[in-house]
Amino acid sequence: MAAKRRLTRLAAHVVLMIVSLGVLLPIYWVVVSAISPMSAIFSSTLHLFPTVFHWNNFVRAWKSQPFGLYFFNSLFTNFAIVFIQLITSCLAAYAFVFIPFPGSKAFFFIILMAMMVPLQATFIPIYLMLSQVHFINTYQGLIVPFVGSAFGIFLLRQGFVSIPKEVIAAARIDGASEFRILWSMVAPNAKPALITLALLNFVWHYNSLFWPLVATNSTDVRVLPVALSYFLSQEGGSNLQWNLMMAADIFTIIPVVLIFIFGQRFIVKGIASSAVKG
Amino acid sequence: MTLFVFIPAGYVVFLSLLRWNLIDVNAQFVGLGNYVHLFASQSFQQALSNTLILGVGLIVILLPLGLFLAVLLDMGLHGTRIYRTVMFGPYVLPLVASGLVWTLLYNQNFGLINQVLAWAHINGPDWLGTNGFALLAVLIMTVWQYLGYYMLIFLGGLQNVSAALKEAAAIDGANDRQTFWHITLPALSPSLFFALIICTIQAFQTFDQVYVMTGGGPDGSTTTLVYYIFNEGFQMYNIGTAAAASMVLLILLVILTLLQVRLGRRWVVEE
Repeated sequence: MAAKRRLTRLAAHVVLMIVSLGVLLPIYWVVVSAISPMSAIFSSTLHLFPTVFHWNNFVRAWKSQPFGLYFFNSLFTNFAIVFIQLITSCLAAYAFVFIPFPGSKAFFFIILMAMMVPLQATFIPIYLMLSQVHFINTYQGLIVPFVGSAFGIFLLRQGFVSIPKEVIAAARIDGASEFRILWSMVAPNAKPALITLALLNFVWHYNSLFWPLVATNSTDVRVLPVALSYFLSQEGGSNLQWNLMMAADIFTIIPVVLIFIFGQRFIVKGIASSAVKG
Repeated sequence: MTLFVFIPAGYVVFLSLLRWNLIDVNAQFVGLGNYVHLFASQSFQQALSNTLILGVGLIVILLPLGLFLAVLLDMGLHGTRIYRTVMFGPYVLPLVASGLVWTLLYNQNFGLINQVLAWAHINGPDWLGTNGFALLAVLIMTVWQYLGYYMLIFLGGLQNVSAALKEAAAIDGANDRQTFWHITLPALSPSLFFALIICTIQAFQTFDQVYVMTGGGPDGSTTTLVYYIFNEGFQMYNIGTAAAASMVLLILLVILTLLQVRLGRRWVVEE
């Protein structure tokens, strides 16, 4: 029995290792390609390890497009989205949990339904609406469609529900305003949920190509995913600078990798619990 | 929220009844003409079937594989955290960035995949440029990107299955397999249900990786519904057709979700 158990565990390790290696290989390959000269990339024989190191590729990639500006655009619009969403989600979730109002159940159901509707199904009218107020090709255009988040309300509601209602009632008797209760009692208690929401939202919006591609075409407000996608379509053909493209790939993902490393605890918890409590 | 989900949904119905090129002041009202045109169009049918194939493929691969890996990670092995971190990693990367990497990996002449195949004396195909292979290539890349996410959902579910229940089953003489099928899996049904819905939505949203890797080609063999809508609306400026296709996407998603919710009521075991 014990021997069989040990064998099972060994087999599990082997499977997990193979899968992990498979997952890591593309990531490893980006790094290898990014520091290789083009001749090494084009070589038809397999070189698993780099022989020459062209660190200069990172500098060349950075200078190939105004990446400084694109970084600013990406970070600025995403911080704005996250900040606004935290506020709106907090207010809405607070209302759902602590302020009984007629039809709150129905409203919550509507929000759940909205979660199922992706932007990709409604982007044409949103585009037209924003173009009427001249938001296309502006930071506002990148931010405004995401000021409210069904997912955010949903996630924070879960965090708020666990706060005892008696505490809130007591605060009200003491004359605290609703905003004060939210700011100094509810929000601090739901800190993990707030952090999770902020991190996940940042990652999603930082990574997404679709809306920025639709809503912008000027380089002034271009964000990183769009810039990366232009590598292929602009350069095109056989003189594609694969190594520079991979180098750009690497510095583009640095913010999300940092978030992943330092915020993993929150992200993992947020995702793992979303299904259980949902 | 209402402003950005429900009003557009209403607006899209209206637009789908027009023939309009976005610039013209006068849009022509064509009634259901766009829908008739859409369903007769070969490229739309292809986009629809590509999306469905991708969706079924993702569900059939991601859900069982994610569950299997989660079960392995739930065994309490050494290094579980490292495995989990590595496997979840790709999920936080931009699809555009991974798309570029996979474009390189899939390259016919110097891509890593074909070089490895060549080493085994197999002549690898032009993955992204061949009709039969391109959609498969997109599918594989998407699995790589999302696998860790589903693993995590199931891991969360597994860690919620009460240990007491499993112990009781073991005392009653159930073996590991019986415990899994009769105790763990039913207890996991909410996670499975959630994963199924998310996976469906994700499949129907597929755009970024297609845009980067294949541009919908070759011969439209990787054009998904969203890519079709984008192409019709923002490359060819057929707003009416694009809006009609959006409606199809919307209705399909609603139907599928309601269907799954209904099925879910039947087999999701609530504690």
